[in-house]
Amino acid sequence: MEIAFYLSGLVAVLATLGVISNTNPVHALLYLIVSLIAVALVFFSLGAPFAGALEIIVYAGAIMVLFVFVVMMLNLGEAVVAQERAWLRPRTWLGPALLAGVLLVTLVGTLWRGDIGLVIEGETLTAKAVGTLLFGPWLLIVELAAILLLAALVTASHVGRLRPPEKPPTDRESGARKEAS
Amino acid sequence: MTYLIALLPLILVCATAVAVMLGIAWQRHHASTVLTAVVGLNLALLSLVAVHQVAPFETLLVAVDGLAIFGAVLVLVSTLACATLAHAYLEHYRGPREEFYLLLLCAAAGGLVLVSSRHMATLFFGLELLSMPLYGMLAYAFHERRSLEAGIKYLVLSAAATAFLLFGMALAYAQTGRLDLAGLTAGLGEGGGAWGLAGAGLILVGLGFKLSLVPFHLWTPDVYEGGPGPAATFLASASKVAVVIVLLRLVIESPAFAHVGVHQILAVLAFASMLIGNLLALTQANLKRLLGYSSIAHFGYLLVALVVAEGLAVETAAVYLVMYVVTTLGAFGVVTLVSSRDISGDAAALHHYRGLFWRRPYLTAVLTVALLSLAGIPFTAGFIGKFYIVALGVEAGRWWLVGGLIVGSAIGLYYYLRVMVTLYLVEPGMQRHDAPHDWGTRAGGVVVLGLAALVVLLGVYPTPIIEWAAALGVAHG
Repeated sequence: MEIAFYLSGLVAVLATLGVISNTNPVHALLYLIVSLIAVALVFFSLGAPFAGALEIIVYAGAIMVLFVFVVMMLNLGEAVVAQERAWLRPRTWLGPALLAGVLLVTLVGTLWRGDIGLVIEGETLTAKAVGTLLFGPWLLIVELAAILLLAALVTASHVGRLRPPEKPPTDRESGARKEAS
Repeated sequence: MTYLIALLPLILVCATAVAVMLGIAWQRHHASTVLTAVVGLNLALLSLVAVHQVAPFETLLVAVDGLAIFGAVLVLVSTLACATLAHAYLEHYRGPREEFYLLLLCAAAGGLVLVSSRHMATLFFGLELLSMPLYGMLAYAFHERRSLEAGIKYLVLSAAATAFLLFGMALAYAQTGRLDLAGLTAGLGEGGGAWGLAGAGLILVGLGFKLSLVPFHLWTPDVYEGGPGPAATFLASASKVAVVIVLLRLVIESPAFAHVGVHQILAVLAFASMLIGNLLALTQANLKRLLGYSSIAHFGYLLVALVVAEGLAVETAAVYLVMYVVTTLGAFGVVTLVSSRDISGDAAALHHYRGLFWRRPYLTAVLTVALLSLAGIPFTAGFIGKFYIVALGVEAGRWWLVGGLIVGSAIGLYYYLRVMVTLYLVEPGMQRHDAPHDWGTRAGGVVVLGLAALVVLLGVYPTPIIEWAAALGVAHG
């Protein structure tokens, strides 16, 4: 289990280096997905399968796919087809594929040994344990997170308005002018 | 039941935020939104009396004790002042005005969590809940370049500071396996250990950014200048108070922060903040930038109390905080009122204030009192605070810090007086920026006048505040 932990940790670090050193956003995102899956595997090996599953579903699944789609949609056009073909060259996908392969080998190797409840130390944290903790003593945090998301949403919807406020009429300062003169 | 009463202010503020949100969804109406927000904040303030009956009360995540109540009072009062000032300020704003109060209430909730946090999770969430709405508030007038710039600058730099904070927490957790303050204290043992110390240092970076201490201060003037008046007021008052209180709690309770090295770092930060903050303020021709730099210097003074961290330290910090908040609210309140009729950004350049006295004598008197208090002139609140800091520094034998404070105050006097002279110069030409005629009878004006009266009153008769702070000092010292 330690080997799985260190291997996926190494993959996570390498993939993250790939993210920040890549100039092409789509390639960087590809590395980011690998990095997130590697982190999920780290969670699994530490005995937190729920966190690991969430990492894959939420980050690698929902958010990253959204990112990739948005980035791809931003540069639509005729040139895109040629671009896509250029992207399919091995040197583009070989890096992420290699790292993902290492992860797969780690995963299969771990599963091969049988017992899926195996962790480095401590006990496995199930979804039930997380749930009772989150909605028991940590309820306050959940509520605060809700308010935080509300604030973020309001901020985003306000700043993201398409139309800026109308220009005010020009005679609005007349009161001050009269006063000053 | 006790649990609910202890959290009553937080629940009330959050409920008010939800009520304001539903109100906006139903029908936009500026005045009634303000009324809802103000009533909710006042109820929360009143509920602190009930909280006082059950205090001290501790759970895994929060500690509702004297310090928390003290911080909550300051946060709620500052938020109330900001809400009333925002009403005056946003009246002429074209575009949606009501969201500002929603964000303000969310930020106030974050401040309330932060002052009572005794767990890294509540510390983090409180800090984020305090900062997240502030991004929106600072960038509220997003069609103006400066306001948008302020919001984005604060967002990016704040995120970097949060990364430092989280990494610090992770290091502390790596050593102790605990996240609550009591567990950290027990786990770190005497002096803290290498990881604990590194964690403490990184947490200090994160909190130092929010307080704009000197190596982390670069965002302050731009954000203060660009943000709308009420947002800058909130940033300068409530947000800083909450962070100071949480830092105070960490310094008092956690052994990693009691380490000699950490104390030396704090001392260097304090010294640098005092001198550099004041020196940079010297050449400013913009009142909001000047107040921003002066707030850097003021938190340098306040850090002296945290460096000493024994004897009267808690009492000193509490007294200084009260004095600082009252004064800052007064100064920023005047800036906000003067800017409130303006359509193209805030009236912040000093020449806008030239000869203000001859048009708005009472408003100018308020600003003068606030500036005198910031400079620490006797018979104003600022003097009492500064007196406490000097007394504490001398008693602890921190001569460098006391020297820095005296030099800083001398420099400070120069630029505060420069502003005051500008206010009374005779202005020959026309003046673009001005407060509305009837500002004195509006809510915002009443708040500003009340604050000025409070500054003088606390300067002459500070006994109630000192007694309150002394009680805190006994409980936490």
